[in-house]
Amino acid sequence: MHNYPRWPIHAALILVSLVMLVPFYWVFKTSITGENIFVYPPSLIPVDPQPFFYVDAWYAIPFPYFFMNSVIVAVMVIAANLVINAAAGFALTKEFAGKRWIVLLFLACMMIPFHATIVPAYLVTSHLGLLNTHLGLALPAFSHIICIFLFKASFDAIPPSLIQAAKIDGVPEWQIMFRILLPLARPAVAANVILSFIWSWNDFLWPLIIIRDVEMQTLPLGLSTFLAYFEDTTGSLYAFCVMVLAPGLLVFLLAQRQFIEGLTSGARKG
Amino acid sequence: MGWILNRVTVTFALIAAVVIGWNLYVVRHDDGILEGRVVDQAGAPVAGAHVVLNEQTLVSLAPIAETKTDAQGRFTFERHDRHALVLTAGKDGVGASGRIEVRLYFRNQNRVMSEPIALGADRPA
Repeated sequence: MHNYPRWPIHAALILVSLVMLVPFYWVFKTSITGENIFVYPPSLIPVDPQPFFYVDAWYAIPFPYFFMNSVIVAVMVIAANLVINAAAGFALTKEFAGKRWIVLLFLACMMIPFHATIVPAYLVTSHLGLLNTHLGLALPAFSHIICIFLFKASFDAIPPSLIQAAKIDGVPEWQIMFRILLPLARPAVAANVILSFIWSWNDFLWPLIIIRDVEMQTLPLGLSTFLAYFEDTTGSLYAFCVMVLAPGLLVFLLAQRQFIEGLTSGARKG
Repeated sequence: MGWILNRVTVTFALIAAVVIGWNLYVVRHDDGILEGRVVDQAGAPVAGAHVVLNEQTLVSLAPIAETKTDAQGRFTFERHDRHALVLTAGKDGVGASGRIEVRLYFRNQNRVMSEPIALGADRPA
């Protein structure tokens, strides 16, 4: 094995990281300066930074309402995803007739974009009387097939002898899942929490379709309202963007190690 | 103790502490009192100057209150219930001020203007 110097790799990684972080920096910089994005030449360093665009954004729209709606929907989605995806992933670790076809069906369903299922999803939600409700907002996101496979890969990596020992001790199947497998699959749980949170938090199209009252809107919908009414207030708009982005970034940063472990757990056994 | 003192609970506890602290501060400083002084170009107080408090919305400027300065050139507004304000002042024979922007961190925040509003003879009232 050659002993190459590591600094070129680190330099390249730092460069790529900076490129990836530039949009975030630019959004934050604009939120404290209000500088128009079309200003030329653009300034890299914030000129006359001040926090008042956040105050404007806070009062321009009913932010607490939007925030609480997003939180309520995200909590419902996360809870449902953990239960449903873990149960489905646990089922897929077992051998049963037609398992291969079910896995194929799941994989095939992953290729159908959500936009293609909006009309039936709307009709089902309407028949259930859930239009313009938190439950209606959360319902289509109650399970994600990718997360089912994350759980399956994570459960597959747990030694079967552990499950057999539990069965010999008379532990029921649902307790095996919740009390033995899930505590051992914490990275998968973290990945599920983060993915379902981010997908729910950033969802724009579904709330746009089923929400009618302003007080039921979520944060991404609030962003569109902002764009429609206050087109020339760059600073406040970007401040609102930061306020929408911050919770997702916080959740990711808090659980990033488990998230990465969860995504890669299927790559190895044991 | 590990299940209590981990980075998730500590982070959310810190956020909760900041939010509670900020709201306590707001409750104690939200009488909407805005105080200041009006002076002429020589720095002498201007009595009887007409001071107008405007609301600065995202797209417009609208007057919401007005008052006169006392013998020491002082003025006070109460319960303005806004977070972005613009002050203008003027007096016949002395002149008028430019627009003085007053940005607050929350609605009704109490504020004493650190700099007096100067009336300029080149700007007629």
